[in-house]
Amino acid sequence: MSLVERVKNALARDDRVDPEQLVARLDALGRFLRVTDPYLPDNDLVAAHTLVERAGSRLALSQDHTVVALAGSTGSGKSSLFNALARLKLSPVGVRRPTTGVAHACVWGPLGPANKLLDWVGVLPRQRYIRESALDGDDEAALRGLVLLDLPDFDSVERGHRLEVDRLLGLVDQVVWVVDPQKYGDRILHNAYLRQFKQHSDITIVVLNQADRLSPGDTEIVLTDLRRLLTEDGLTDVPAMATSAKQPGMLTELRAALEKTVAERQSALRRLAGDLDLVAEQLGATIGPPAAEDEVDRATVRQLSEALAASAGVPAVASATAGAYRHRAIASTGWPLVRGVRKLRPDPLKRLHLSTEKPAPSTDLVPVSRTSLPEADAAQKSAVGLSVRAVAARAAAPIPEVWAPALNAAARSRLGDLPDALDRAVARTDLGMSRKPLWWTAVGLLQWLLTIAAVVGLGWLIAGYAVRIIGLPAFDDPMVGEVPLPTLLLLGGLLLGALLALLLHPIVNLGAKRAGRRAEQRLRVSVTEVAREYVVAPVREVLNSYAQAREALTVVRSE
Amino acid sequence: MTTKSKRPAEVDAPDESITEPGTVDEDRPESAPAIPEAATPDDGPEAAKTKPVDEPMPTDTIDADSDPATPADSVPAETAAPSGMSTDPGAAAEPPPAAEPVTEVTEPLTEAEPDLPVEPPAAVGELATALSRLRAAIGGATYPLVMPSAEEAGRIGTALVSQLDDYLLPRLARLDAPLLVVVGGSTGAGKSTLVNSLVRAPVSTAGVLRPTTRSPVLVCHPSDSPWFRQGQLLPSLTRTAEGSSDPRALQLVSAPALGPGLAFLDAPDIDSVVEGNRALAAQLLAAADLWLFVTTAARYADAVPWELLTTARLRGTVIALVLDRVPPEAAGEVSTHLGEMLAARDMGAAPLFVLPESALDGQGLLPEGAMRPLRDWFAQLAADAEARAAVVKQTLDGALAALGPAVAGLAEAADEQAKAAKALDERVTAAYRTGRRTIEAGLQDGRLLRGEVLARWQEFIGTGEFLRTLESRVGQLRDKVVAAVTGRPAPGRNLQAALETQLVTLLRGVAADAAEQAYSAWQAHPAGAALLDPALQKASADLPQRAERVVRDWQRFVLDLVRSEAGDKRTLARGTAYAVNGVGLTVMVAVFTSTAFIPTGAEVAVGAGTTIAAQKVLEALFGDQAIRTLAARAREELLARVDVLLEAEAARYTDRTAAVRLELEPGAALRQAAADVERAREEVALTGTPS
Repeated sequence: MSLVERVKNALARDDRVDPEQLVARLDALGRFLRVTDPYLPDNDLVAAHTLVERAGSRLALSQDHTVVALAGSTGSGKSSLFNALARLKLSPVGVRRPTTGVAHACVWGPLGPANKLLDWVGVLPRQRYIRESALDGDDEAALRGLVLLDLPDFDSVERGHRLEVDRLLGLVDQVVWVVDPQKYGDRILHNAYLRQFKQHSDITIVVLNQADRLSPGDTEIVLTDLRRLLTEDGLTDVPAMATSAKQPGMLTELRAALEKTVAERQSALRRLAGDLDLVAEQLGATIGPPAAEDEVDRATVRQLSEALAASAGVPAVASATAGAYRHRAIASTGWPLVRGVRKLRPDPLKRLHLSTEKPAPSTDLVPVSRTSLPEADAAQKSAVGLSVRAVAARAAAPIPEVWAPALNAAARSRLGDLPDALDRAVARTDLGMSRKPLWWTAVGLLQWLLTIAAVVGLGWLIAGYAVRIIGLPAFDDPMVGEVPLPTLLLLGGLLLGALLALLLHPIVNLGAKRAGRRAEQRLRVSVTEVAREYVVAPVREVLNSYAQAREALTVVRSE
Repeated sequence: MTTKSKRPAEVDAPDESITEPGTVDEDRPESAPAIPEAATPDDGPEAAKTKPVDEPMPTDTIDADSDPATPADSVPAETAAPSGMSTDPGAAAEPPPAAEPVTEVTEPLTEAEPDLPVEPPAAVGELATALSRLRAAIGGATYPLVMPSAEEAGRIGTALVSQLDDYLLPRLARLDAPLLVVVGGSTGAGKSTLVNSLVRAPVSTAGVLRPTTRSPVLVCHPSDSPWFRQGQLLPSLTRTAEGSSDPRALQLVSAPALGPGLAFLDAPDIDSVVEGNRALAAQLLAAADLWLFVTTAARYADAVPWELLTTARLRGTVIALVLDRVPPEAAGEVSTHLGEMLAARDMGAAPLFVLPESALDGQGLLPEGAMRPLRDWFAQLAADAEARAAVVKQTLDGALAALGPAVAGLAEAADEQAKAAKALDERVTAAYRTGRRTIEAGLQDGRLLRGEVLARWQEFIGTGEFLRTLESRVGQLRDKVVAAVTGRPAPGRNLQAALETQLVTLLRGVAADAAEQAYSAWQAHPAGAALLDPALQKASADLPQRAERVVRDWQRFVLDLVRSEAGDKRTLARGTAYAVNGVGLTVMVAVFTSTAFIPTGAEVAVGAGTTIAAQKVLEALFGDQAIRTLAARAREELLARVDVLLEAEAARYTDRTAAVRLELEPGAALRQAAADVERAREEVALTGTPS
């Protein structure tokens, strides 16, 4: 925004409140509350909730009326001032303290349209008066639209009065604080009330009533002292004037101020804008620098998934996969004569109740049975707890402290489901053991061929031996070089088979290692997915809410 | 109090001393402080004669008789007005306020002097000692935990200590010191103007700015000023001769117009924006022998002064009220209403003076006529030493009697503190106990530790890789067999591999959990929530290092243990180890066979056989039992070290409640001291009614 623009804005604004912008800010506040409600402590949000509700009600009611309250200590002459402004004796005036126990209202103009407003403010119907009759002519026309409230005191022994004042002060559009020469320096007035209105200096007027009791010189001294106290309260440019209900001339200044207020029809908006500023200031503590949704960095997630992998028994499954590879490879390619013995030993993967088949793709339809992996031990559980905490802490680091509990809770929200989810993830992971490598079959065939050759050779030899026994003419064994063929078949088949099995051993081992590594990689991917779904996702949800709240608060703050 | 003192020559005979019906039955001095006991009708006229001290304690509204606007209202006041305050202007005006009473008072005073030692000095001394002890007990009690009662108790405790220092102890030391009238009330009530008008001199600045008086002003007769100057009363205030705005200064002004034996203290307000004023006013009021409470027609229903009035009533201070700035037309209604309010709060007996709103004279003083009833009342009091003494004793006794309940409240608050501290500590202990149990469970099967012990043993004995493998194979097999027999799952991994890392992780996890648990437990407790700071939520920052240190220290301990245990067996063990290689080989074969060739079902039988064989071999070699024992000791040692670590963690919490835990029954000392004071007070019997 350029300087020229800013100056133009400042001039254009001239402290009028744009209703549309106010509504937009209120909507933003509502949005803020919706997204933060589950995460922030209630105490921080009470004021904002109250404001949203109250602003909604006030804006729905008559905007043509301005509700002005006369508030002050007991005996400062609120009711006298009320009557003097109305030029009628409406509110009872007395010397007995406290005099006024309930709020009285006087409406300039017809009562009808203001009734709803007064219902909402909570003034009893019999305490409502009208200040306009045919007799007045145009005398009171300038104040038409004014709803003047005479409040009870807030400092007497009647505690109920104070509660009523506190309630009403939250609802009115403008406050005229009535103080008197005796009480203008009271602590309760300044600390409990005026200081709370420092955001509302544009809807605050302070009058020094009963000025007729002071000499003009003293009045000026007291007014100066009063202004000093108001400045200390944070109400720097609030109009402060001397009034007296007994001398009508001393009311003109206040009357003029009220006429201006009524004519502008701005007080209700200013009041709400001031409340919004106050609430936005309070909420400012809950919002800090922006936090990206991917605030949880890779290193933290890796640490988490490593801890989860250890607790899910990933290394054990990987080594079992390697063992299973070796087991099956030997069963398929080993020397056929001892192959059967191998089958007597259990398959390492089956011992863990892990399926060797490729898992069905539609994962939801087929229930997955629990694996037989051992449960995580205490140290592993601790490691998981620590890394989950680290995720929450990492996410909470850049944003205000007040979000830390929510992030911590979010990170843990599904901790109880983790063991089962991990187990399912492990059970569902394709360990790459479903397919039998082709070379196993080929080697297996070769082994069988060699065995058959050996058996044929053996049979041949036995047959030749038997022929020789029964005295038949011996076979004329074909010779391969120096060795007869049957002998070659038998010995060659046996030796080559054994040799083949021996030669394949390192290759099988290598394959087993690779299978183990591959399984571990796939398992880690599955476990990381679980980590993202069960730990990181809830944290991101909170961070997302934070980002939305931040955006909403920026709108609330805009003026 | 047996007084047969001569009545000072009075202008008006007190024969019509009228007692109020409502006050008749009040015979307990602490509950009816403003009404001396002589008011009982049984005493009748005799009482009126023998106990003239009662007269200056009027019991009803006294209107400014000079006010012509309220003739109707002044009638009951006049009938009830005690003799001392004659409504007859002539009679009242007759004695010059200063001169005549002074001469008369000096005589009773000299008679009264020997009267005072009549009271057993031992008892008074005992009372003073008991009070000093009580003061020490109150001063020693602290309320550091944020509890509903704590703030209040701290405030009351401070107030009691300053009351003891400022008033009770000095007053007890000199019962005959001048009567101090503290003029207190709201800002703008006209306290300073009233004091000026009472002494007929502008001694205290009055003005339109609120609050006007910031530093207290004490006005007394020149003969009394040494007592006030020496500073036994209100010792914390510096005496000055001229006015200042320092709230810790007490300006002393001598006013010859005032009779001796009576002093006025113009206190700051109790309800203005200046925070210090209220505390100072409360302190001054606690030092008052008589509190002249000033309020106005606009103010008399304010909540703040009524709180103080209630406090004063509970404390037994003698109170008189001035209703100032009353518009003539409102005098009747307002004074009636105020009278009703007083009666409703059990203060109907306090005298009430109504001053009309009137223009000040050239010196800024109220007109003589309006002031007369009040001046007369004080003149009467000044003239009558007995009456003054009665007021002093009554207030003193009331204040002493009020100590008991106040201290009981403090004792309760102190007990609550101790209880809360205990509850908080228990929560922390519970959290860390859970952590310890987790660690214990983590070390349950002892494999981890046996592995460590065995490794150290072997390293120490110096056997080769072969034997080590043999041993670990045997160990694994044994675990498998045990698992098969007992149904417990066999371990998937060799835990020993990363012993340090595992143990450290376990400790860190447990400490983090416990810290968090303790944190949320404290957060649920109001006192705990106030003590927390965010750093407590996590385990302490150097925990990983310390946990590592614990594990390393423990490993060294294990090594030392093995060393001392093995000692001389070393050579033998090594020799045997080599010699038995053959046996080992046999076992090895057996193991290999069992794992490589035998189906699972049969494994158990053979395994068991092998295990027994292997164990026998091992026992023969190293004494497996010895290793088990060593492992058990190592476990105990580890747990002990973990305890120390966790205790240090828990101490981060428990240190915060340590201040409270020093005493187990902090309330008992307070109660004892208060009971001593009460006993001594009853013995002294200041108001003459030993109970």
